[in-house]
Amino acid sequence: MTAAALFQSVLASLPEIVVITGACILLILGQFLRKGREPFLIWASVAVVLIAASVTLMLAGAAQPAYAGMFIADRFAVFFKFVFYLATVLTFLLSRRYAETEGIGSSEYYVLLLLALSGMMIMASATDLLSVYVGVELMAICTYVLTGFLRREQRSNEAALKYVILGSVSTGIFLYGVSLVYGLTGTTQLDAMAAAVTGDPLDPGLLLAVVFIVAGLVFKVGAVPFHMWIPDVYEGAPTTITAFMSVGPKAAGFAVILRVFLNPLVATSDVWIILAVLAVVTMALGSFVALVQDNFKRLLAYSSIAHAGFAIFGVVAGGADGIASVMLYLLIYSFMNLGIFATVIMMRNGDFSGEIIEDYAGFAKSRPGLALLMLLYLFSLAGIPPTAGFFAKFYVLVALVERGFVMLAVIAVLLSAIAAYFYIRIVMVIYMREPERAFEPALTPLVRVTLAFTAVGTIGIGLFPAWFLRLAQHSVLGG
Amino acid sequence: MGFPLLSLIVFTPVAGAAVLMFLRRDDAVRWTALGVTILDLALCLAMLASFDTTTHEMQFIERHPWVPALGITYALGIDGISALFVFLTALLGWICVLASWAAIDRKVKEFMVSLLVMQALMLGVFCALDLFLFYVFWEAMLIPMYLIIGVWGGEGRVYAAFKFFLYTLAGSLLFLIGVIVLYFHGGKTFDILALTAQDLPFQVQSWLFFAFLIAFAVKVPMVPVHTWLPDAHVQAPTAGSIILAGVLLKMGAYGFLRFSLPMLPEASVHYSTLMMALSALAIVYGGLLALAQDDLKKLVAYSSISHMGFVTLGIFALNLRGLEGGILQMFNHGVTTGALFLLVGLIYERTHTRSMAEYGGLMKAAPFYTAFLALFVLSAMALPGTNSFVGELLVLSGGFAADLAVGATAVLGALLGAAYLLGMYRKVALGPASVGARFSIRDVNAREMVAILPLAAFVLWVGLYPKPFLNIIDASAKHLLMQVHSKGSGQ
Repeated sequence: MTAAALFQSVLASLPEIVVITGACILLILGQFLRKGREPFLIWASVAVVLIAASVTLMLAGAAQPAYAGMFIADRFAVFFKFVFYLATVLTFLLSRRYAETEGIGSSEYYVLLLLALSGMMIMASATDLLSVYVGVELMAICTYVLTGFLRREQRSNEAALKYVILGSVSTGIFLYGVSLVYGLTGTTQLDAMAAAVTGDPLDPGLLLAVVFIVAGLVFKVGAVPFHMWIPDVYEGAPTTITAFMSVGPKAAGFAVILRVFLNPLVATSDVWIILAVLAVVTMALGSFVALVQDNFKRLLAYSSIAHAGFAIFGVVAGGADGIASVMLYLLIYSFMNLGIFATVIMMRNGDFSGEIIEDYAGFAKSRPGLALLMLLYLFSLAGIPPTAGFFAKFYVLVALVERGFVMLAVIAVLLSAIAAYFYIRIVMVIYMREPERAFEPALTPLVRVTLAFTAVGTIGIGLFPAWFLRLAQHSVLGG
Repeated sequence: MGFPLLSLIVFTPVAGAAVLMFLRRDDAVRWTALGVTILDLALCLAMLASFDTTTHEMQFIERHPWVPALGITYALGIDGISALFVFLTALLGWICVLASWAAIDRKVKEFMVSLLVMQALMLGVFCALDLFLFYVFWEAMLIPMYLIIGVWGGEGRVYAAFKFFLYTLAGSLLFLIGVIVLYFHGGKTFDILALTAQDLPFQVQSWLFFAFLIAFAVKVPMVPVHTWLPDAHVQAPTAGSIILAGVLLKMGAYGFLRFSLPMLPEASVHYSTLMMALSALAIVYGGLLALAQDDLKKLVAYSSISHMGFVTLGIFALNLRGLEGGILQMFNHGVTTGALFLLVGLIYERTHTRSMAEYGGLMKAAPFYTAFLALFVLSAMALPGTNSFVGELLVLSGGFAADLAVGATAVLGALLGAAYLLGMYRKVALGPASVGARFSIRDVNAREMVAILPLAAFVLWVGLYPKPFLNIIDASAKHLLMQVHSKGSGQ
């Protein structure tokens, strides 16, 4: 690699470098920080992300391949990186008070989040199975640790252990697929692999490899049948981390799926049948099991499975609109899901966990404003206009019908009617029950900012979706 | 593109709701809500005053790009059919505020905000000229209505609210798929007028017809997807019932008029017999159910199913008398049943029971009340001189012209109507006052009188001189029929 090429590569990956360097510096600084100075870490972490964001914006022009074809900085990656920045910054803002309540004082918390962010960024930009792997692992290992961050809580430990074991297995499966691909085609580049997979006749070994790789990736987005870890891990992890995981890593998983499998594969092969089955089963399982949950975090875990299913419908549709619909879906999902998680996190105060749905009875009576926000997020998650959630679903359905999959669209909407039931049930508890206790939400200014921001996103994208739609359409692969 | 009158009409209640958010005293909230709804009514009257009844073209059109990438526009406009319902919605709006003046005594602000938002969304549905916009208004109505029933309703409100929500949601989601299919078949546009001009293959029309039918049938509601209605009606607060009966039920029929008939003419002609049979079934079945009720609100609710059967019968008779009768009957039903719910609400406020068995002899205790009740009962029975007579007569003559058997069945329904309505009046107003004595019943007070009088006036106005109302819808109805028959005759 010549110096010029190296410089080019470094430039293309500058946002990642900023984040990783920032994380390392904070790791060291964190050791020297006196007690009670934790807010500095939050602001420093937010600053790191903001710098990375501005660098990303500056580089957002033409697509720049880097590192000998293992990495690319294109508009597709930029779009996803902004979803990750959004998720990470909001998680930082939500963490301040929560960390205090839960006794998470250590600086590693923020550093790990930053490193997980860098992993997701690499995933979005990876154009080689090996760089995908590096990104996936960087992200996954950080989230394993973060899941178990409530060291004194058994639930958290158990969740982390479960996550580590299942996650490693899925990584193993993924790696096995990669090695098969390399053995059969002699390359790990995504383009070459896609070309080989779409070639005719198809090597059955290669098909097996693809199945392994898909399985590894589907684990990350939590689709059936690799969803088992989600409810336990989501419930056990600190709520801030749950919020983060439900948005960031999930979007990163979709970024890889879209990049690896979409462009050539879905259009020319019958892979969509597998994906369609996956989507239907995932959505059905998520929706039906969520119906019987009493724990808010568990319910949101199943809801996130259902939403992953809906997003996979967009993958099934394929084509420019299909890809754009998944991207827009993920963006909108991050706003509304972080919003609803913010309200759950804010309820964690003193001895009040905020995790039991019944505990919210009569919330609207004592806190009408906050209840209205929850109503907004919940109706958005259910996909009722004029919220953004409706537009997200609408665009996926448009993509499906455009491809001629009307039946799939019908199934999707019927399942989302079922999903609507459990969101509305929470609204019912909030609005139609008598309060049994006083509510003292931990409403810090940072939480307020997060709530306001996500609310504006949830209602704003719903009312004025044009700009965001264009953004997604412009950021589509090869667009 | 001149003055955005329709946007003003649609968004005035929203602005009012925003103002309410900042008010503290309940009374201030009530008066402001009343002021806003009256202002909205005034705007509607101004609209009607400059409405051109000689043309079927859309009027007061506004058009702005909204999501250009998908061909979605913010487009409003009204023709004769929508004009009548815009007016009806605004007319019932301030009456709803008056009806909940004393009945709603907790979370008044939230209630009035829901009410105003609801009104804006309903007006939006009738004004929308873009399918996407229409759907947004149509579906968003679920939120305030869910809250109105679920928060301020009666004992079983939570169940009723759920049922209402899920039924209508499932129905309209299928409608959404239909809309998207239509979008691709109609050349990637959501413009209602452009889609109306399209000629779709019969096969596609059939599928779409049934997708739309499910959504609209739930709203009308037609038998067998009517079961949410009695629950919702009985549990909803009075204002909620008025909205439900007065406007919400019209949305389904409006959907048939705006989408099914003009966009899917061949399918409409092809399945018109089926639709008329379903309507006749609803008329008789609803009537029989109403006959068996002891609960006043349930009786009126089931009678709504029967009355809305007349509406769909008229529409799918596919002749001018039937169509005009059906549309006029929608308006009449809004006025009459809205008033009946109002009266039931008034008496419930005083006695806290809706069981007819516990009433009797109200005529002595509350003469004004019973007089009004008599008027609206007679109107619901379609006695000559009242509004429903005109509508029902038109529907029946249209129905007979279209299909003898259906017409005959519908007449049977009218007979049933007389039976349960007179029975209700007898049990409530006449007879010994023994039970009436148990309650201290005050007669209608001035505020309530203000709410009832205009409705009573409309009952007589339409009954004695329906011409102005028929004038509004005439051109549009004729045009609609022409569209259906010119395109649908190929079948």
